[in-house]
Amino acid sequence: MSSDQDHLKETDTEARFEFKKEENAAVRSGKGLTEEVIRMISEDKDEPDWMLERRLRALEQYHNMPMPSDWPGMPDLSELDVEEIIPYIRPDVDKREGVDDWTELPDEIKDTFDKLGIPEAEKNALSGVGAQYESEVVYQNMQEQWEEKGVIFCNMDEAVREHPELVKEHFMTTCVPPSDNKFAALHGAVWSGGSFVYVPEDVTVEMPVQAYFRMNSEGMGQFEHTLIIAEEGSEVHYIEGCSAPKYGTHNLHSGGVEVFVGEDAHVQYSTVQNWSKNTFNLNTKRAICEENGTMEWVSGSMGSKVTMLYPCTILKGRGSTDTHITIALAGEGQDIDTGAKVYHNAPETSSTIESKSISKDGGRTNYRGLVHIADGAENASTAVECDALMFDNESTSDTMPYMEIEESKVDVAHEATVGKIGDEDIFYLQSRGLDDDDAKKMIVAGFIEPITEELPIEYAVELNRLIELEMEGSLG
Amino acid sequence: MARLELRNLHAEVAEGDEKILEGVDLEVQSGEIHALMGPNGSGKSTTAKVIAGHPAYEVTEGEVLLHLEDEEFGEDIEIDEDQRTWNLLDLEPNERAALGIFLGFQYPAEIEGVTMTNFLRTALNAKIEEREELFEDEEGEEAEEEDEGFENSPMEGPADDGEVGVAEFQGILQEKMEQLEMDEKFAQRYLNAGFSGGEKKQNEVLQAAILEPSIAVLDEIDSGLDIDRLQDVSNGINALRDEQGTGILQITHYQRILDYVEPDHVHVMLDGQIAKSGGPELAEKLEDKGYDWVRDEVYGTA
Amino acid sequence: MSAGTQVHANLTEEQVREISGDLEEPEWLLETRLEALAALEELDMPDVIRTPGRDWTNLHDLDFESLVDPLNAAENKDQVGPEEAEVLSWSDAVQEHEELLKEHFGSIVDPQENYLTALSTALFSTGTVIYVPEGVDAEDVAIRTEQNSRSLFNYTLVVTEESSSVTILERQSTGEEAEEQYYSGVVEIAAGENSYVQYGSLQNLSEEAYNFTVKRGVADTYATIDWIEGNLGTQLTKTEVSTTLSGDSSETQIVGAFYGHNDQHFDLDAKVWHRAEHTTADLVTRGVTDDVARSVYEGVQDVGSDAWDTSSYQRENTLMLSDESEADASPKLIINNHDTEASHSATVGQIDAEDLFYMTSRGVDPRSARNMLVEGFFVPVLEEIDVDELRDDLEGLIGARLRQRD
Repeated sequence: MSSDQDHLKETDTEARFEFKKEENAAVRSGKGLTEEVIRMISEDKDEPDWMLERRLRALEQYHNMPMPSDWPGMPDLSELDVEEIIPYIRPDVDKREGVDDWTELPDEIKDTFDKLGIPEAEKNALSGVGAQYESEVVYQNMQEQWEEKGVIFCNMDEAVREHPELVKEHFMTTCVPPSDNKFAALHGAVWSGGSFVYVPEDVTVEMPVQAYFRMNSEGMGQFEHTLIIAEEGSEVHYIEGCSAPKYGTHNLHSGGVEVFVGEDAHVQYSTVQNWSKNTFNLNTKRAICEENGTMEWVSGSMGSKVTMLYPCTILKGRGSTDTHITIALAGEGQDIDTGAKVYHNAPETSSTIESKSISKDGGRTNYRGLVHIADGAENASTAVECDALMFDNESTSDTMPYMEIEESKVDVAHEATVGKIGDEDIFYLQSRGLDDDDAKKMIVAGFIEPITEELPIEYAVELNRLIELEMEGSLG
Repeated sequence: MARLELRNLHAEVAEGDEKILEGVDLEVQSGEIHALMGPNGSGKSTTAKVIAGHPAYEVTEGEVLLHLEDEEFGEDIEIDEDQRTWNLLDLEPNERAALGIFLGFQYPAEIEGVTMTNFLRTALNAKIEEREELFEDEEGEEAEEEDEGFENSPMEGPADDGEVGVAEFQGILQEKMEQLEMDEKFAQRYLNAGFSGGEKKQNEVLQAAILEPSIAVLDEIDSGLDIDRLQDVSNGINALRDEQGTGILQITHYQRILDYVEPDHVHVMLDGQIAKSGGPELAEKLEDKGYDWVRDEVYGTA
Repeated sequence: MSAGTQVHANLTEEQVREISGDLEEPEWLLETRLEALAALEELDMPDVIRTPGRDWTNLHDLDFESLVDPLNAAENKDQVGPEEAEVLSWSDAVQEHEELLKEHFGSIVDPQENYLTALSTALFSTGTVIYVPEGVDAEDVAIRTEQNSRSLFNYTLVVTEESSSVTILERQSTGEEAEEQYYSGVVEIAAGENSYVQYGSLQNLSEEAYNFTVKRGVADTYATIDWIEGNLGTQLTKTEVSTTLSGDSSETQIVGAFYGHNDQHFDLDAKVWHRAEHTTADLVTRGVTDDVARSVYEGVQDVGSDAWDTSSYQRENTLMLSDESEADASPKLIINNHDTEASHSATVGQIDAEDLFYMTSRGVDPRSARNMLVEGFFVPVLEEIDVDELRDDLEGLIGARLRQRD
């Protein structure tokens, strides 16, 4: 076993996520969304004019769009007051692009990421690491061998300055335009930080690159933007982790993710989301897949008060493939509304969606998904499978798939089941010596096993720890 | 030595008032093989489940006692005088398992996503830990509270917690599987998921071999087995008795398995009671003549 | 957004009074109608599914002003049944069973649920009341309606007393065709304790017609409501079939069959509300889309928090016979009690090429082979039908439509 697991074990998981640091900001915007705030962010970042213009246009669109309200079973967003959110906090670090040596970070930030086990993981299992604290990336590093092959892994603000042609072409244009939805528009106006990944033709980045996002301050919003461009025949696995300490007021996370999967390229995007239970987590994630490209989304949603997240893949090129693996766990006071969207816009495209959800202690999970097969997408196939496990009668488990099939030469299958944790199964395990709690934990671990086996071992461990932690409350 | 004692056991379905057991008296000692036979609905499976603590049944009268001798669980665990007799009805199913009760299920649960290896090692370590708790001196009770949970992928199970580590356990598992002539690949398959009926039964015996119970109750372990597998399973049961001194209570419909696993005692169950007990010859007589003569004899003389 | 501006301009209280007066209705019924009329202004069209950029059904473009002609309703109607049960026309029911109507009318389908239910309540001029007394077994009740006017508003009430049973067929077709016609139907079923209702419907209106129907039942303890929903006609149908399982151990089955061709648009909802213990639901819909037809299916299995020990299953299968047709589906699970076994599945595809090849390799010509496979596809649905006339005619109409194609 690798040493980062030892590290994980040494620290109590709860302590690792729940600690909070004194806020120590260099720059901090006012609350709410005004042109002044947007100009101040852009100026503080020393951005080119074109980016400021994009921000202002997005702000206008944000103000002109209504909050989504007519979705059946939509989570309650009434407690979210975007005007009360602080959209931008730049932590007090010396170097604006982020350092590439952990020891150069201020102690309290370094300590944060140490506790989260990031530097240890970097040594053992990753090709590169970025770490964002509040609105800015404070650490960014990639192994030299990848740099030599032309791989770019830098923070998004740096990319705006250093790689303007790539960013201009791909940033919130064809993939996630601000007009897509209200929170995408919000994101376009106030985005800050995040990662830019560029993988040149035929390069396979063997170990994953990871970004870790941490919100520390009360009442802030984090709006990082991730842009991944995988050129023809390339391959990359991007992992993001998120956490924040608990506060009395609400935080907002509204990230934007755009992935361009080139011909024959392969991108995996994995997320382990553990935002604190006062966070509204409203994201827009989308990938466009060219011919024979493959996009894989792996999402574990354990944290947040409300999550609305439906990673989307547009299968644009013939023979392209999408895989969605989603796990959601909702406990007390949580509404995890998550799923998948796939547009089959070309022949011979295929998608597979696997969703597992667990609801307990009054929490609600909902699978909300859309599969669209466009006219002419001959021999497209899609298989959706949703399984839900319920612990108790206070909880809710919904499943709301939508299928739009405009092409006849297709293979479309959707299946869903909902059930309670089985008494006979628990008894069987108990009769072999496991106590009631361990029996339930084992059944849950088995229930999500098809998901965890897709993750690198370190993250499977992390996911299991988090789920265990979430379950502690309801057991015993 | 251990001795399982059922005294005047009455039980009914927990949700409802249908009586199923109406005064069962039965004793099984370490090293003995008992066959419990009887027609459908006579209460055999219920007896097994009540011994193991199935929550669907409610005991309305009587006792299930387990008598232990010192060193039943080896030298490391000291069993005080006042801990020699346990009323199993007061205990959770997992505590009963820790005291050496094993139930081989007629219909084992299928649990997706949990590998045999992970499950059995977890069970083995849970048993060891629970025993320590049950037989611990009063003073030292504080320490062992914290639950470590799974730190590893559920494919492999926890890597380093528990008495028996991964490597050691692999050795144990491999050895037992060879004894039962089971394919190695079973170790990485999910618990009973997609197993054939015969594979499930074989797996139940494998679990008994690994958990080394004092008393094993095997509920229709022989149903649905072809002759080769019946022999493998029988060898496994005999090995339990011969090598570990396990006492066996074997519930069966058929004489067939008794040709391979020769019982010391045979009991006939009728209408929720043990109607007749005897030696191996009783089983042969049942095979020839069915159960009606027992009924006539019992109710005729009553 | 209110849809009310579309039609109420040319609808008046006087028209509603005239309809109610002709039927010699008591004051309370007139009041209910007038309230529904007044509510039109406020009410919305029934919900339709929306996904980003798409409405699955568009009801707002319907020109109700020209479609609705309240005082000139014309039809041919058969209302027949066995002697044991009462099968009454609406006007007879008003005279003979006012108390029964008072108890049940509007109790299951809220007249003001949406714009179209309110319109139907205000304007219906014909209908049927089926009353099955305690312990009576009534077979083969049939209501056959032939629409001969621009618009026709119909109402059906079924009440079964304890331990009774009834099988019903209600069918609609078009007599005198007009360029555009509108049929609106509301069906309420109150299934008493331990009673059984099978209500089969066969909608075969002209392909110029528009159709809106709501069929809803409430099942008491140990009661069973089985629906058969056959849709073949109209250019646009919006229909909902649903059961509220309000009594312990009640059951329902919703079986649907549709065959859309040309430019037909079917929006079909099947819904079950589990509201008591030990209830069971089975939703099965099979349909075919051909030419540029579009089918929209929404299935909802809603398990309330008091619905312990629920079993709920749903299957929807669509066969696409042409490349230009579209099949949309949204089978939803809303589960608020964990003591539930629920599942749904949906498939969309073409006729299996292997099956087709197998049959043609045995010498069957491709056209016949295809027709046999499509007819076979509907068999599981046809088998559920108790009323011979419904089963035979549905099968016949599907066969005829298949043979009509080249």
